[in-house]
Amino acid sequence: MKYFLSILMATVFFCTVQAQQKTVVSEKKMVTVRGGNYKPFFISKSNRPVYVTSFRMDETPVTNAEYLIFVKSNPRWRRSKVNRLFADTNYLRHWKNDLEIGVSNKIIYNSPVVNVSWFAAQAYCKWKNKQLPTVAQWELAANGSPKDFKYKSLTDFILDWYTKPSPRVLPHVKSTYQNQYGLYDMHGLIWEWTFNFNSFAASPDSRRNGEDDFKNFCAGGAINVADKTDYAAYLRYGYRASLKGNYCISSLGFRCVKN
Amino acid sequence: MIQISKKSIFSIQMFSVLLMFSVLFFSCKSNPGNSDDGSNKIDTTLTGTVSAELTFAPNVPKPIAYTSPKKVMVQLEAIEKVMPISDSSEYTFWTFGGHVPGNFIRVRQGDLVDFTLKNAPESKMTHSIDLHAVIGPGGGADATSTAPGQSTHFQFRALHPGLYVYHCATGPVPLHIANGMYGLILVEPQGGMPKVDHEYYLMQGDFYTKGKYDAPGLQDFDETKALSENPDYVLFNGRVRSTTGANALTAKVGETVRLYVGNGGPNLVSSFHAIGQLFTKVYMEAGSEINRDVQTTLIPSGGATIVEMKMQVPEVINLVDHSIFRAFNKGAIAQIKVTGAENPSVYQKLK
Repeated sequence: MKYFLSILMATVFFCTVQAQQKTVVSEKKMVTVRGGNYKPFFISKSNRPVYVTSFRMDETPVTNAEYLIFVKSNPRWRRSKVNRLFADTNYLRHWKNDLEIGVSNKIIYNSPVVNVSWFAAQAYCKWKNKQLPTVAQWELAANGSPKDFKYKSLTDFILDWYTKPSPRVLPHVKSTYQNQYGLYDMHGLIWEWTFNFNSFAASPDSRRNGEDDFKNFCAGGAINVADKTDYAAYLRYGYRASLKGNYCISSLGFRCVKN
Repeated sequence: MIQISKKSIFSIQMFSVLLMFSVLFFSCKSNPGNSDDGSNKIDTTLTGTVSAELTFAPNVPKPIAYTSPKKVMVQLEAIEKVMPISDSSEYTFWTFGGHVPGNFIRVRQGDLVDFTLKNAPESKMTHSIDLHAVIGPGGGADATSTAPGQSTHFQFRALHPGLYVYHCATGPVPLHIANGMYGLILVEPQGGMPKVDHEYYLMQGDFYTKGKYDAPGLQDFDETKALSENPDYVLFNGRVRSTTGANALTAKVGETVRLYVGNGGPNLVSSFHAIGQLFTKVYMEAGSEINRDVQTTLIPSGGATIVEMKMQVPEVINLVDHSIFRAFNKGAIAQIKVTGAENPSVYQKLK
């Protein structure tokens, strides 16, 4: 009887785990972001206000559990196999090994995957028949007003998050706030890759070319900005400008869009 | 400049102030003692490689012992860290090396500085560095935009002697500076600095928090106060009472003390003053001009000064920003404790 009970309990436990995993990795919900005008933070010849047409966007950042499935079916994106040109040595360093996040890391299964490069993020989205959002799409989506927001202002909330060092354990997705489009965690959880993350500084190797010459340092950085007091946007653009496609950073993840 | 000066001479009194500035500027420019083009006058043939000694305030690296230009390796790390700003308040500082101010760097005129900036993997932010001693794009900022967990690398020649501020130059620069990302680099002249008994490192900075001065708990940055240049704290070395009481600087009667003092700002200009002393020597704005017997010297935001004092009597010298509310209410006090025999011929208290 005792034997039978323990089998029963084990079965129940197993089923629960299965069910949980199933909910975690079920087809990701996407929501529609209505088209609208996007005004770049840095105005220049190649960064003019543009109209962004409606698109679909992942409701949350891609989680560790979701990314594990991608790695399982795409061996070249395993930690030990990845090409260094496409992901630096920090790639998935928070996982136990190639195909296990690790039991001790169970707490982060449903947290955003981080330590992934732009190339890896792009490959994941492509595998899902999606793509990374452009800066314009991401910013338009992230500007959505929060629902039931407990903070005084979105900028205050973002600044408070930006000015704190990364937590040791990253919280789960949906742990911050939801915005008017139904998107979760656009701010306050991780930084997110964008398709053209460094394009606002003209092409990556010609930051000092002609009219697109902008300096993200010193007073030069204040000449062409849309709103000089929007320190949150300022920080975001400074951050993106310092990235390279193979960087893997412990507070940088992604979500995908469908046009 | 000459034209303006001539014009001013023939103008009415209203312009006399302008004239004074013009003449001052003109005379500085034409001073034969200053090398306007140091690169032509200094030896730049490298004679080996050394690693720079780096220190944290109030300590200063030992004087440079070598007498010919070296390649000097310097590595700084950007670290974001919660630390006490006062007895009751904490603040999330952004730092070079985990302290405010950051590492003191000491090199010699003519040295080729090989500079690496690391950004700690735990950092939330991108950081960079603009050293005012660098002649080149952004003072190094153009080459050092460094994402968390990454590092960047550049070289510069230390052409001009002086004490220079360095600071983070990633947008928005004011926020990075307001959070404590600054420090000093000393470029010793080829002949070295004259020998003194003590050298110390102080750096002033203003801080803006959501709560009032010494409000309990972790305090967030207050953008509104920063934009209106109304700080809650004006501090030496990043903390209320960083350099007072048990942590005071020390010296003995008869000794000479040299202070390397920077002002990180971001907003305030310092009226640097020593209560119960005066500066026998001031390297004005940390440049090559020396002024003597000065009571209070200005330190611009993003600037520095070098001052010297001869200790005459036992006392506690309060070093303050003489915009005096800052000293009394916002924390701008550091101390030198001078010990030794009384010197009644200089000072005595009478009944």
